[in-house]
Amino acid sequence: MEYIKKDLASYNLHIIKTDKFKTINIRLVFHSPIIKEEITIRNVLCDMFMQSSKNYDSKRKLTIKCQDLYAATIETTNNRLGNYILTNFHLSLLNDKYTEEGNFEESLKFLSDIIFNPDVSNNRFKKDKLDIVKISATNNINSAKEDASSYSLMRMAEAYSKTSPISYRMLGYLEDLEKITEENLYKYYLKMLTKDFVDIFVVGDVTEEEIVPLIKKYFKFKTVKRKKVPYIIDSKLRKKRLFAKESIDNSQSKLAICNVTTSLSPYERFYPLTLYNIILGSGSDSKLFKNVREENSLCYTINSVANKLDNLLIIMAGIDKESYKKCLDLIDSNMQDMKKGKFSEKDIKIAKEYYLTALDEMLENESSIIDNYLMMELLGTDDFEEKRKKMLTCTKRDIIKVAKKVKMDTVFCLEGVKNERD
Amino acid sequence: MKEIKLKNLDVSCYEEDLDNGLKVVLLPFSNKKNYFINYGTYFGADITNFTVNKKDYQVPNGIAHFLEHKMFEQADGVDPFSYFAESGTGSNASTSYEYTNYICYGNKEFSRNLRYLLKFVNEPYYTDKNVEKEKGIIAEELKMYEDIPDFQLEMRLRENIFHKSPRRIDIGGSIKDIKEITKEDLYLCYDNFYTPSNMFILIVGNFDVEESIKIIKEEVGDIKDKKLPNIKLPKEEETIRVKEDKITGNIKVDKLGVGLKIDISNLKMDDLTLDLYLNMITTIIFGNSSEFRERAHNEKLINNFYMEWETYDKYRIFYIMASTNDKEKLLEEIKYELNDLVISEEAFNRLKKVWIANEVKMIDNIDATVGNLFDDLIKYRKVIPNKVELIKKLSITEINKLVKKIDFSNMSVVYMEPVEEK
Repeated sequence: MEYIKKDLASYNLHIIKTDKFKTINIRLVFHSPIIKEEITIRNVLCDMFMQSSKNYDSKRKLTIKCQDLYAATIETTNNRLGNYILTNFHLSLLNDKYTEEGNFEESLKFLSDIIFNPDVSNNRFKKDKLDIVKISATNNINSAKEDASSYSLMRMAEAYSKTSPISYRMLGYLEDLEKITEENLYKYYLKMLTKDFVDIFVVGDVTEEEIVPLIKKYFKFKTVKRKKVPYIIDSKLRKKRLFAKESIDNSQSKLAICNVTTSLSPYERFYPLTLYNIILGSGSDSKLFKNVREENSLCYTINSVANKLDNLLIIMAGIDKESYKKCLDLIDSNMQDMKKGKFSEKDIKIAKEYYLTALDEMLENESSIIDNYLMMELLGTDDFEEKRKKMLTCTKRDIIKVAKKVKMDTVFCLEGVKNERD
Repeated sequence: MKEIKLKNLDVSCYEEDLDNGLKVVLLPFSNKKNYFINYGTYFGADITNFTVNKKDYQVPNGIAHFLEHKMFEQADGVDPFSYFAESGTGSNASTSYEYTNYICYGNKEFSRNLRYLLKFVNEPYYTDKNVEKEKGIIAEELKMYEDIPDFQLEMRLRENIFHKSPRRIDIGGSIKDIKEITKEDLYLCYDNFYTPSNMFILIVGNFDVEESIKIIKEEVGDIKDKKLPNIKLPKEEETIRVKEDKITGNIKVDKLGVGLKIDISNLKMDDLTLDLYLNMITTIIFGNSSEFRERAHNEKLINNFYMEWETYDKYRIFYIMASTNDKEKLLEEIKYELNDLVISEEAFNRLKKVWIANEVKMIDNIDATVGNLFDDLIKYRKVIPNKVELIKKLSITEINKLVKKIDFSNMSVVYMEPVEEK
């Protein structure tokens, strides 16, 4: 695998050469600091790209064009990364070796057409298309409760803070949706195109000589490079632990706990914290899995996630309402044990193996390869080799030091109040 | 070992049936680092009623899934999850109506992990205590699914399509069912269905073929096969049990569920070709590039749309589940499509091209390849080496002949509406 970064003035092109795959994957990433009131319009815009373009004026025509390009796929996604919102265009297609000469260029041209040649006339998007997207967005926002896990995480974040980007709903807001018109959507589109930072990633069996001119030809931006706001959110810890709850007409309750990590060094954030999280609650060999699920039969799912850029460590469990206190006490005591160093060298060794396996695994998947280089670009994280080396030198002392910086802040319970039938 | 070239995909897989009847399928990749090992049995939720030595047994629903959970309990106290984790290897298991499958995946210690996977699945250890303990965990798992509106819709649809088939019942059974399960029930099922000729091993990824077969023979080659019990699957009736039904759920946007029950005994076509054609028909009429989707989309009828085929006995069942703002209208559109159906040659040829491209793409991705071979093993009990050729051979005349023979009116419909606000 070979990595080449090219500065193309208004954006960076990242080429990752590898002969591992029969496909070529391209990701074009727009990124800008997240603004709560803009999440909804950005979602709508994202969806509008996939409804039609000037040359392909219906969703069906876009789909058929993709199929004609030997089942190429294009999708757009929005996600939050710390203080930023990222809008991604993913294009995945077979290398010309397995299709026909020119299929790759034709696909790039098609992607370029979707981005630069939207279905707009008189500086407006099409009303009929916007109506479709708005109804779908309304339905998605209204259906948030159907997925009790993600709903509980959303409500937990809102209980934790009213202002931090952590609490922003990535599904968007109905009141913002109402304000979107064909005109202001187009203005927002132009803003994204000119004000956002852009990075383009290409992974596959390609050469720099063929890729650079093609990308230059089809992707011309006039963005200006500016000084950036930091990606990492400086999450605050409240003085006294907050308990919040809400009821839902479900059988199961969801416990969602927000822990704040304070004053971590970059090394602590990406290495000891990772090990801490693996040992405590991610994966089926973790303390929480063993103690809360296997020994006490309190749940089927329990796990923890380190949201490194948010300075948060989230713990989630699906429990019976009656077990709330017992479950919380067990989680608390397992976290205390971590602080006291009640975990073995073997636990650390296993956690490292787990990490290193996952690291190798990343190299088998185009999308993870891009994620890795994206994080290197945006956050200056280490490359694969450096990660491996640094992780191996991590000690128990490092993990205990981090454990002392993980503090429980908000405990949210989405209480299932449906009557027991059995 | 028999080498089977997967035609048009530049890879070979190896197949061998051991003397005791165990089927082994190996697909090595030289350019990948990771591997997936599957060890499965054709024992799933379908089977609760069987005869051994002229004695009839009826075990509680959900037993296959319960047994899957309990397989991870070992007499030596070692937790298989922890054992695999030592080399950073993941492990899991899954149960369907047709199978139970145990899996480990990683990129280190292949031989050690293969040996262990075979060993632990061959050594059940059930006690009254550990069986009792699992009931709390599984109850939470069942409750987790019960709370999902799409799951509620699917279950009602199943209850209404089938008269007697076990497909009417959740794979996990009910909380009442699992409370009845004893260690004797588990041993009875284990001893009779975890027997070599009823099992298979599927390995895909980076490993050595010779070494693997050697290990497999050492670990499981000497296990004596046992005659499979006489399984009594309830004979399902041709009619739909309930044609139309309405339920309420914790939702904001209505849902529509449609099930088609097709008796294939008069279609006179081999299973594999028939499945390809059936899949093609529904993809052409309801897939992303269909006119139906375009129309439903423009009329804002579909918020999301999901479809799937299922096999039970001499039936193929086709499910559609959608969330929609107008369920009556959407049903009308679906019925309109199924009435006087003719497949266009243009759509037919395009889909063939897409499917062939997807077969090539699939080979890039170990997960997808495993899924594909696994499906073949479940549905046809063998690997299908020439899928690309089979797809190429599909003919427009045949598909339209087939369409004419199928009765698309044997349908069950379930509407789901929001619970009225109190």
